[in-house]
Amino acid sequence: MKDLITIGLPSKGRLKDNAISFFNDRGLKILQSEKERNYFGTIENKPNIKIIFLHAKEIIQRLGDGTLDIGVSGLDLLKESDINLQGKINIQRKLDFGNANLVIAVPDDWIDVQTIADLEEVSFDIRSKRNARLRVATKYPNLTNNFLISKGVTQYKLIPSLGATETYPFIGSSEIITDITSTGKTLADNNLRLLKDGLILSSNACLLFAKKKATKLQPFLKSFG
Amino acid sequence: MKSKKLSETIIKTFKTNGFVLSEPDVLLDSDYIIERSGEKFRSSMLTFDREDGKTMCLRPDLTVASCISFLQKKTSSKIYYSGQAYRRSGGKGTNFINDQLGIEILGSKNKIQDDFKVINTILSSAKKIKRKKILIKVGDISLFKSLINSLDMPERWKLRLIRHFWKPSYFEELLKRLEKNTDIDAVTFDADKKRFYEMKKLDQDKVVAGRSISEILKRFDKKIKDPRSFVDGKKIVKIITSFLKINCKLSELDEKLLDFAKKNNLKKNIFRDFKSILNLKKLNQDVNFIANFGRDVEYYTGIVFEVFSGKNEIARGGRYDDLLKSLGAKKNIPAVGAAINLKNI
Repeated sequence: MKDLITIGLPSKGRLKDNAISFFNDRGLKILQSEKERNYFGTIENKPNIKIIFLHAKEIIQRLGDGTLDIGVSGLDLLKESDINLQGKINIQRKLDFGNANLVIAVPDDWIDVQTIADLEEVSFDIRSKRNARLRVATKYPNLTNNFLISKGVTQYKLIPSLGATETYPFIGSSEIITDITSTGKTLADNNLRLLKDGLILSSNACLLFAKKKATKLQPFLKSFG
Repeated sequence: MKSKKLSETIIKTFKTNGFVLSEPDVLLDSDYIIERSGEKFRSSMLTFDREDGKTMCLRPDLTVASCISFLQKKTSSKIYYSGQAYRRSGGKGTNFINDQLGIEILGSKNKIQDDFKVINTILSSAKKIKRKKILIKVGDISLFKSLINSLDMPERWKLRLIRHFWKPSYFEELLKRLEKNTDIDAVTFDADKKRFYEMKKLDQDKVVAGRSISEILKRFDKKIKDPRSFVDGKKIVKIITSFLKINCKLSELDEKLLDFAKKNNLKKNIFRDFKSILNLKKLNQDVNFIANFGRDVEYYTGIVFEVFSGKNEIARGGRYDDLLKSLGAKKNIPAVGAAINLKNI
């Protein structure tokens, strides 16, 4: 079908529920398969629209390679993705859910470290005393890198993390971390504290589309404002 | 084979001046380099994973590769290299392969003599190829350091300015803040005194995320005592910017620096450490001193220079006393070196 539109939605959690409500509220009723774990869906009375439920990160990738025309995913994931990939994706609008901040966090007991300027000094201390780099554990290496360099911090090393990043400083895997947080509770419960000027990115869910498909999608996208 | 012949001529000059060939490894441990040189190196390196999980890279630079080889005791201290280095330099269509040809004195015992030796060797090999309108531009990072250390401002500002001297755009940002007395650390400092006293009672050797309690408390204490703001930011910025504007013939440098010190009410002897540069008078060559010079490479610590033939930069180099230590040497190993820019010859 020439005018087929493929939409990728997050497959799990609140992000999934909110994305579905977003479409439902606009009269586009999403119908999921009766099989609980099926990944495909449709929209009522719109035979030309196909819904696929995917990991939020995957949605960015598939928008980039043209498998998806439209998708809902996090701004954080888009901004973290490869620069060539970002160039292929446009933001139609920001959505009012999925709010979370990417922040720098340090151990509570580092009472002398309140700002990025402190962090920069401490990183030089570590280098001159131990001839080592301050290790920063993160799931967001690109955003973290760009942020730290723009703030004049250079003496660090990134430690890629896949999860439970909050544990890293206390098991010897890194000294500090950057992570995504919405309430700050996980950080606080793990004896970590935000830096006062350590906000890297304020993120939320976004309605995205593949740049290449812009002309085809325009009539449909218009209805979302 | 024109360029090969040029390289041979240059190498011959290196050899007659006592430099010995160093052939550093092509494959290096990528983590080792990032550990020592920082994250910004990562994006420029060409890496791959070995079967045993170790990440390797093609040598990104022959100075760094030669230093590593020296530390593994594979070479003598006065070396030359001729070969390829491999890195991304950003931008589309750029070549990954850089031909590099240069000399280094690693473990330089006599600063003035070795600085001169390197510049003189580079100059005489350059002259074998390009004779026209040779001009040397020099600067000296240590002069900037002496100036900053002689100024009256909080310690953390001095360290900041010195640390970021090699990043001109961020440096400018710092100067603006200094001028307006807006500390980058201006966010109100919550002196968490209660926690401070609690922590004083803990085992001072206990380590929290890589830092000992005593280390944290010491810095905390120092920080609350360090003045948050100071009056004369504007005046200090003026002194720094007027220093960075100094650009004169080597023969006039003495007088210029004295003049500068006098005008700004600084002690006469703050610039006592520029003998290496004055020594260049012996080259019998046009030498220009530029204070705002050599600011794109982090590791330079002393004299920095570029050799020009007309408008083309044909060689550059400088002193880097801290690099070998940061590459893992147990003690300070001063070094100085330079490379020929083959593209412009």
